[in-house]
Amino acid sequence: MSSPVFRGLTVAALAALPALPLAAQDLRIGFASEPSSADPHFHNVGPNNQLRRNVFESLVGTDEAQQLTPLLAESWEPVGDTRWQFNLRDDVTFSDGSPFDAYDVVYTVCRIPGVPDSPSLFTTYTGGITDLEVIDPHTLIVHSAEPYPLMPTEFSTFGIISARANGVDGAAIEFSPEGCGDLNYPATQAFNDGSIAIGTGPFLLESFRRGEGIELVRNPDYWGEAAPWEKVTMLPLTSEGPRVAALIAGDVDLIENPPLQDLERLRADDTMRVVQGISNRVIYIHLDHEQEPSPMITGTDGANPLKDIRVREALTIAVNRDAIVERIMGGVAVSAGELLPPGMFGAHDEGDLPPRSFDAERATALLTEAGYPEGFGITIGTPNDRYINDAQVAQAVAQMWARIGIETEIDASTASTFFSRRNAFEFSAYLAGWGAGTGEMSSPLRALLATRNPDLGLGGTNRGQYSNPEMDAVLVEALRTVDDTARQELLRKASRMAMDDYAIIPLHYEVTPWAMRAGLDYTPRADQYTLPYLIRPVE
Amino acid sequence: MSAVETTPPPVDLGKRWRITSRMAGVAVAASLSMLLSGVGLPPLVSRIILLVGLIVLAAALLKGKYRKFFSGPSAYVATASLLLLVVLAIFATELSPQNPYDLRQLDIMDGRLPPGSTTFDGSMTFHLGTDEQGRDILSGILYGLRVSLSVSIAATLAAMAIGVVVGIYSAWAGGRIETILMRIVDFQLSFPSILVALMLMAAFGRGLDKIVIALIIVQWAYYARTVRGTALSETRKEYIDAARGLGLPDWRIVFGHLLPNCIPPLIVISTVQVANTIVLESSLSFLGVGVPITQPSLGLLIANGYGYMLSGQYWMSMYPGVALLAIVASINMVGDRLRDTLNPRLTR
Repeated sequence: MSSPVFRGLTVAALAALPALPLAAQDLRIGFASEPSSADPHFHNVGPNNQLRRNVFESLVGTDEAQQLTPLLAESWEPVGDTRWQFNLRDDVTFSDGSPFDAYDVVYTVCRIPGVPDSPSLFTTYTGGITDLEVIDPHTLIVHSAEPYPLMPTEFSTFGIISARANGVDGAAIEFSPEGCGDLNYPATQAFNDGSIAIGTGPFLLESFRRGEGIELVRNPDYWGEAAPWEKVTMLPLTSEGPRVAALIAGDVDLIENPPLQDLERLRADDTMRVVQGISNRVIYIHLDHEQEPSPMITGTDGANPLKDIRVREALTIAVNRDAIVERIMGGVAVSAGELLPPGMFGAHDEGDLPPRSFDAERATALLTEAGYPEGFGITIGTPNDRYINDAQVAQAVAQMWARIGIETEIDASTASTFFSRRNAFEFSAYLAGWGAGTGEMSSPLRALLATRNPDLGLGGTNRGQYSNPEMDAVLVEALRTVDDTARQELLRKASRMAMDDYAIIPLHYEVTPWAMRAGLDYTPRADQYTLPYLIRPVE
Repeated sequence: MSAVETTPPPVDLGKRWRITSRMAGVAVAASLSMLLSGVGLPPLVSRIILLVGLIVLAAALLKGKYRKFFSGPSAYVATASLLLLVVLAIFATELSPQNPYDLRQLDIMDGRLPPGSTTFDGSMTFHLGTDEQGRDILSGILYGLRVSLSVSIAATLAAMAIGVVVGIYSAWAGGRIETILMRIVDFQLSFPSILVALMLMAAFGRGLDKIVIALIIVQWAYYARTVRGTALSETRKEYIDAARGLGLPDWRIVFGHLLPNCIPPLIVISTVQVANTIVLESSLSFLGVGVPITQPSLGLLIANGYGYMLSGQYWMSMYPGVALLAIVASINMVGDRLRDTLNPRLTR
């Protein structure tokens, strides 16, 4: 033990340790939920899409605020009402060396509807495509039946795979929305074992082992800026405690979603860095606008008080959002005035539609005016394991409603139970969240507030059955408007109409934190993705 | 020796004690129903009657065996701490600085304050700190004790009643009925109770009534099995033959002679079972399927503070945990002493 040689070695080893990860350009990430597959088209769900972006690029990229950026397509523009032209890069090759062209896009869109055993297909994004027209290998025209302003956004959601690598002659494909004939498609398993994981992205998939981890290595022939990491290991650390412990112990360099209660300690630690950014997810309370008597409302002789705008306003302004953000969310959230944070498409600019300010006195007065001087009884349904501190937030709202005389109870249950009960309209008021996948206001308005109409894909999650034909009209017009400026104005108008009608009670936007060792930096993203090629070493 | 064992172990308190204990039983039942229904005497008076009634019942149970029961210091400690915790639970409303179930009295601005802090206006001191909703932990513990104790005592009594009926009936009836009932009991006992309770609560939803029902369903089989065993050995004893010889109807033999003699082992198991039930209820609440979150029991209080353990805000989980430990340990120790005292076969 005391031999000088041993001591010398120990010192040398210790000195070398901190330098090792940087020198080797290795990055280890502890992530919160694991992808179900490496197949880019198997399962349309956050963790899979996050992994996909490293290996399989899409035509259109998205930046931190979910604004569209050029990626495999250099540019795009509407051609007429129902067509979009995408101009593709001509300097891109797949990792097997074959060139990327428009036929690969056609091949990819052909594969998407037919992935076997898929829990959730990407047809949500490709379903509106009626034809794909290849003008030349780097110019693609996408046809739709209706004006389709969101087409470029749709092309940011799925990764492109190579036709040639699967032995298909892209030029021979006859595209049809019903199916492209009998083509050879890769099996999902072939992506998972790495044999066909051929994309254009900054990384190559080295290995994918469920429950153990994913290894990525730098793509040496990447067309864009090379990733700063030679090798990236992504470890599934799904429990909060072990995840943050792994970061502190130095087993991983960066973790997703460090638990809120540990952020303070991590921030105080000089060897750690915490970054956080607003997400596209709003936490809201939806109210029952339809049923009479409404379930779990007491003391109103069967009337549904939530149909009265004064009651809805009272419930809205009785909530002290800033207090919830500060005390329950530990400051890691932003009070919400509508359904999408400022800075995102269709949302009002900061200060234009601020969160309703807290005014308990006016709320009490409004209740009296509406004929409920003694208040009434209501139950808030909430999941207790879906959103950050969901049941605690509901409890805080219950406190605030209780203050204005509304006897509030909480019915908290696990997410699966909660959502099936909510979908059966068992709640008069429920707490839930909505992440705007497309990054624009049409997403929450369409899902949460448009009059329920399954055929048009409207109001799918409008379990309060809110219906406002005037707002519907503005929203539908926006959905058909290709011009961005006009669409943004229409979306803002629709959002303001809903908020002025107190259709829903927005509480806060979730803020996503990341924790990493000092020496790294990451720009927070609204889509909550952790993308290794954007993690930078800093001095 | 064998002659002594075949004569019925007399459960005879003497006339005065019999009357006293019956009065105490009536007083307990009456005060409980007044407390639950909210009519009749003022709650404080009802609570005092309840406490006195319980003490008299306990004294009647141990009559003539005090020395045997209090045979070591642990018995004194356990009895004293159980008595203290029961007093705290019964008088929670009077003793708590805050009603933790009244949302109007909570303020999230008082959330996560360390022990000894005061409210913003200084009107109240949080001696054990607050949880994230601004709930006073001390008040939460007192009310939580009450919820835990009353839920488990109610569930235990009801499960015992069902178990006794099934057990005695199957022992008395014998034959196919006994086989069927006991196979049902075997089936029930083959499942871990926490698992069954979890499934039931997932199906029922939250609520005190629902948790009591779930706890009854997972527990009655223990009593049925025990009572059947005792009843089987009792039915073979001479005093039952004597009663039969006198031509008494079955119901009189069962309720007048058999049942009273099956009681002592029941009291022992039910005491220990109350402690188990408290743990089971706490586990369910901890897992998020028990009591409503606005009316936390000890288990839910622990769960609320659990996430903050690593960040140094220990008080939210620790103090409710200590209270849970104290109540379970003291009930178990008292149960042990009761077993030694009431079960003649264990006498050394």
